[in-house]
Amino acid sequence: MLEIKGLGVNVGGEEVLQDIDLNIDPGEVHVLLGPNGAGKTTLLMAIMGMPGYEVTRGDILFQGESILPLSVEERARRGIGMAFQKMPTIPGVKLRTLGELMVNGGSSLLLEAAEKLNCTYLLDRSVGLGFSGGEAKRAELFQLFLQRPLLSLIDEPESGVDLDNIALIGKALSELLEREQVKTKQKSGLIITHTGYILEYLNADMGHVLMEGRIVCRGNPRDLFADIRSKGYEECLRCER
Amino acid sequence: MKVREDYLREIKERAEKALHKKAPLGPDVDLSEFYLCSPQEEVDNVESISASLREAALYAGVELGEDKGSATYLQVDRSAVYQKIQDAFQGKLEIMAVSEALERYPELWEYWWGLIPVDADKYTAFSEVCPMEGYFIRVFAHQKIEVPLQACLLLSEESRIQSVHNLVILEEGAEANLITGCASVRGNESGVHIGVSEFYLGDNSRLTFTMIHNWGENFHVRPRTVVKMGNNSFYSNTYVLLKPLSSLQTFPQAVMEGENADANFQSIVFAKGNSYIDIGSSLLLKEKGCRGNSVSRVCAADSSQVYTRGKLISYHDEAQAHLECKGILFSREAEIISIPELEVHGAPGSRLSHEAAVGPIEEEAVNYLRSRGLSREEALSLITRGFLNIDIPGIPAALRQYIDEVIRLTSRDVM
Repeated sequence: MLEIKGLGVNVGGEEVLQDIDLNIDPGEVHVLLGPNGAGKTTLLMAIMGMPGYEVTRGDILFQGESILPLSVEERARRGIGMAFQKMPTIPGVKLRTLGELMVNGGSSLLLEAAEKLNCTYLLDRSVGLGFSGGEAKRAELFQLFLQRPLLSLIDEPESGVDLDNIALIGKALSELLEREQVKTKQKSGLIITHTGYILEYLNADMGHVLMEGRIVCRGNPRDLFADIRSKGYEECLRCER
Repeated sequence: MKVREDYLREIKERAEKALHKKAPLGPDVDLSEFYLCSPQEEVDNVESISASLREAALYAGVELGEDKGSATYLQVDRSAVYQKIQDAFQGKLEIMAVSEALERYPELWEYWWGLIPVDADKYTAFSEVCPMEGYFIRVFAHQKIEVPLQACLLLSEESRIQSVHNLVILEEGAEANLITGCASVRGNESGVHIGVSEFYLGDNSRLTFTMIHNWGENFHVRPRTVVKMGNNSFYSNTYVLLKPLSSLQTFPQAVMEGENADANFQSIVFAKGNSYIDIGSSLLLKEKGCRGNSVSRVCAADSSQVYTRGKLISYHDEAQAHLECKGILFSREAEIISIPELEVHGAPGSRLSHEAAVGPIEEEAVNYLRSRGLSREEALSLITRGFLNIDIPGIPAALRQYIDEVIRLTSRDVM
């Protein structure tokens, strides 16, 4: 599904990522761990093709084809979706209006997704305007539900969210990524998590630790988390050396 | 009757003296370059109105049909061509050409130029010297008319001046929603529209007034509006201009003479081409508990130049009002100049405030929408429409939907 080869990314002229290699097969969910400033969000932004994230080396293949020449919207239309860590405020643009554009007017799909993410009451509010942390995260996932991407890039779904909302978000993610399906999983995901709470709700297949712009460790996500909890990220650097 | 004759003679004389008096704001228009409008024939039924007039009305937000609106007034050039009150609203309100009203009710002369000086500038003077109708609307005491009243002023001939004088009276406790559409008929790209409007709001009355303009590219437009407000009255004025024109200058004022009067002005402007737009509103808070808002949303593209003004004047300690101007500049050649003025006269307890912000569209928002699959153009259009979609206090939901629809339809062509 996604193949990243020797990727280097600059932001504002500064090198943030170096030599990133990452493969996600269809139906796999990977998590990305790492301390603040390690470059996790940069990696997701670069995959999505957001302006300002300049690929200096390497390639990103999606379904076997390089997506580097494609614009953000072309990548979205090919099946890459992103739930952002921070939702922008777009005054006057109702969540419903944006949702309708995404599903081409299909109102039943929209209402069903809103119900699932407890977003019905947010539909007639401006995107991001006055949203609490939990509301913003749910609204992000609501949009991914409408988009139904083949590859979901999810940036810290649990940050700023209370425990009730984490459960709701976790279950929604599990459904979005088809984690309950045994054989027919096709959807893939790359999730940034700081707390690991989200792992309680979906079985991730692989974890990657990103530090100082490089992937320094890979393994079972739960094991990685357990080690990081007990020894801290510094141990990852030492371990690698 | 001698008093009235003297009064009429006096205003005529004052008008004639002011025919060359330049307005303090906006570019000066040489009215001698334009011709006077011609009379048009009145029609009995809406089916007799031509398709081109109906289309022009529609783009100014007025739907002409037997069953549309509680009451409808249509003026083409200098003539009232169609007037109708739906049966259900008979006896609750009146709508007619202002000349007919003045003839039928001589007491209305007391209201004529009662709020706006006839010699304020050459445009007010012209409308008195060369009167070309206008509408008269009266909503009787305690009548609450939810279905909007519609008034439509169209200009069908090229290079003409249309000067109308409107009079609206809401008696005590009356409530109404008035939509006024002013437009040139397709293909008529040049002319002048002068609109004098004097609104009288009785105690405990409510009026929402929505004005949508849709003119040709070489039009000059000079509305002159003053609203006098009684105790506990409410007034909401929404002005929408989304098509390019040559120049527009207007600075409507709410004169709050009653306690607890509440006035709200909203201006929604998308300036394109070489449009010169000088728009604003003024709130005169004279009594205890008076309050209000003046809000504008301006998009300036191409080589357009937009002045947004707001003036809050308080004479009472327990008065409060807020001014808000937000603008987006789409090109290096465009200009937005925001000019707020707050005046407090001997009322240290007054609370007046303003905020203004002019900037570009946030790229973060554009890219966010692109990540949902929208093209850059679609994202810009959506953000702009949202920016223009301001909250308008006190208007019925149906009217809100209607304004949204007008913005959606008219902005589709200009973005």
